[in-house]
Amino acid sequence: MIDIAGILMENISYVLLITLGGMLISFSVHFVPVGGAPAAMAQATGIGTGTVQLAAGAGLTGLVTAGTVMQVSDNPPLIIAAGAVGAMIMISVTMIVGTWVYVYGVGVPPASAKVKYDPITKDRQDLYVSQGTEGHGLPTVSYVSGVIGGLLGGGGGALVYYSLMSAGMDTGMAMANLVGLASIFAVGIFFVNAVIPSYNIGGTIEGFHDPKFKKWPKAVFSSLIATFMCALVAVLTIGGL
Amino acid sequence: MSAGGPGGEAHGGVAPGKIIAFGVLGGLIGIYGAHFLSIINPAFSFIGALGAICAIVWGADAVRRVCSYGLGTGVPSIGMIALGMGVIASLFGLAVGGIAGPIVALIAASIIGLVIGLLANKVLGMNIPIMEKSMVEIGGAGALAIVGLSTTMAGTFMFDEVLALVVAPGYIAVIFIAGGMGILHPFNACLGPDEEQDRTLAVGFEKGAIAMIIAGIVSMVISTTAAIPAIMIGVFIWYISFAKFYELTKRDAYKVLGTGLLPTEEELQ
Amino acid sequence: MEPLIGMGVLALMGAAATVAGASEDLESDVGSQSNPNSQVQLAPQMMYPHRIYNKAISGEPPSNALMCAVGGTVATVLMSAYNMSPVFAIAMGALLAAIVHGTYSVTAFFGRPTSQKRFKQPVYLDILWSHTPVIMGYSYITTFCILVISYLMVAVLGHPFPLPLLAFIWGIAIGAVGSSTGDVHYGAEREFQSVEFGAGLNAANSGNIVRKGESGLRNGFDNSWFCAKFGGPVTGIAFGMVVFLSGWVTTVFDPARGDAIGWLSVIAGALLVLIMILWNRKIEVAARAAYGPYKEDEVAA
Repeated sequence: MIDIAGILMENISYVLLITLGGMLISFSVHFVPVGGAPAAMAQATGIGTGTVQLAAGAGLTGLVTAGTVMQVSDNPPLIIAAGAVGAMIMISVTMIVGTWVYVYGVGVPPASAKVKYDPITKDRQDLYVSQGTEGHGLPTVSYVSGVIGGLLGGGGGALVYYSLMSAGMDTGMAMANLVGLASIFAVGIFFVNAVIPSYNIGGTIEGFHDPKFKKWPKAVFSSLIATFMCALVAVLTIGGL
Repeated sequence: MSAGGPGGEAHGGVAPGKIIAFGVLGGLIGIYGAHFLSIINPAFSFIGALGAICAIVWGADAVRRVCSYGLGTGVPSIGMIALGMGVIASLFGLAVGGIAGPIVALIAASIIGLVIGLLANKVLGMNIPIMEKSMVEIGGAGALAIVGLSTTMAGTFMFDEVLALVVAPGYIAVIFIAGGMGILHPFNACLGPDEEQDRTLAVGFEKGAIAMIIAGIVSMVISTTAAIPAIMIGVFIWYISFAKFYELTKRDAYKVLGTGLLPTEEELQ
Repeated sequence: MEPLIGMGVLALMGAAATVAGASEDLESDVGSQSNPNSQVQLAPQMMYPHRIYNKAISGEPPSNALMCAVGGTVATVLMSAYNMSPVFAIAMGALLAAIVHGTYSVTAFFGRPTSQKRFKQPVYLDILWSHTPVIMGYSYITTFCILVISYLMVAVLGHPFPLPLLAFIWGIAIGAVGSSTGDVHYGAEREFQSVEFGAGLNAANSGNIVRKGESGLRNGFDNSWFCAKFGGPVTGIAFGMVVFLSGWVTTVFDPARGDAIGWLSVIAGALLVLIMILWNRKIEVAARAAYGPYKEDEVAA
């Protein structure tokens, strides 16, 4: 059997960092403007897909970038920043092309139904909401919110990956094995923390101006506990070899 | 994705207790059977995937029961969280458990599932009566599916071999998604007011068989002797369960037509 | 690595990603998947039975991740166990992935309408026989291109993740991009072409999808024909941009040449994001000016 207490004492900082990463991912999902199925019919503001899906798509793109950088650098802020930038690029591109489709393909101006004035541009919103809908497209506030979501989610994912890799670095495990374990654990922790907040917000949110955004402490607290357990288990697996 | 409707308890069919027993016992027997018989002859490694099929069917039934309440978001999310916690718990179980690995994996996944279920109901306020129980089941089913498929791929569930043969080359990714889709797809595919348990679980067997075929293909890396039985038996189970599913579709559908016009106004009344 | 080789590989990856994005979107249009499918699902309940494929395979990200992971796994097995050439291995992997995707499509097509018995939605077998091969064809193209991207990343750019895992991640990403961009063209425009252009779907019209085609009853082919004019290509551009830009920042400013260069790559990425925020704002202003408000301001009037 392995020395559980010893490994935990040695790696307690990594456990805490992974937990922090999970909480960042959970928080980030609240920023991603996702309208679910109604948004795909230009019936609600936001991107027309599911929260888990888009957050995972962006965060995992960030993980790929973080993996590239981690291979050549051991500077933690740089690795985390690289993950954040990868996710930000993914979500920005998706949102800008989404805007093309809404404006040129469907012919609707971006508008939010949750607020009367866009908090960033101060533009009037309610007059631009077409009849029988809850808004459509991505007004500037939702776009900026989505970028922040990418920043936090990609950074959180990269932090998880970095901590898992670091926990295994001094065990002398073969590099391929370590990367394989750390990357699939990072993916697993990412999914757990993408689903928890999406249950919290019921699958749709417009961005940080949405009233539902205020519920974030519940999801972040849940993620704190869930990720802490996953982190303990993951670090024991990696550090125990 | 449409959510599971206004909700309510899933109706009819085989009792949950029987399917849980089928999943847990079938899964563990399959995994241990594959592990010990593979020492005699690698051709027996396919039994692990049979265990994984039992676990996948169990998971699909648990998804069916919990998603009947309507989660507020799509069915797929619960499959992804199941495999997210399942992959961590199962690799942990194999790493620390030694010969008890699959059991440790099952217990670890159940504990994480219980905590997530409690958080969902108590903190997030989802108020689904069977959430805790279902998350335990779905997490456990996910872990057994992962261990079962890994055992077929590597021929053993000893952690060093699984690490080198399944995790490092990245095959764990296909286990993750094929197992997860096996658990979430049956109910998602058969979602609707006239859903029936036997038809949904037929899809569970069919998707489990696909995961088995893929595991068989991966075991070619170790030995062709292990691969051939796994692929052949997988194709056989796939055919049987697909035929059963088509038969049940013909039983349950309004009409199965070669082609035709839309139903007329009078017909719809 | 030589920066020029890196750029060349990146260009190839971007091109493959563009093709993959377009085929991914058209695959989800011909089979009707993901969020727009909720209306196809709802239609019979609102007394609008139809002849449109109902491919309810979860969301697009998991289903694309499945086919890419299956393809990546088979390709890796063929390359490592039998030393086959990468091109052949990738082609075989994509073929098996397309078959697996086909079975998922068929079970969803049978499952959903059958569970709507009380709304009298028939299961049309000719739709199954004609559409499933097309779905598999598109999924073959998507998987092949994703595997090319993943293989180039591993073999040439030296990415540490194993091939099946990279393919899985790109599958999730392409599904997320496809369901966020091109699908809106199918869901908000093509399904509701009968209502006036330039408005979101009025909730009162939910389920009232267009069921009649230019000739005969409308099916998935008619939908993909329409979406190939705009939704498909822009999805391709979107995924091409994701792959190209996220790789571009670390190829031009290679972090291997020192942390300072690495930080430059972060700054370059942040600048790209800033440009896109401003671009979105410009389109927003132009759209508001061009389309005007839907209703008068009651206070001013």
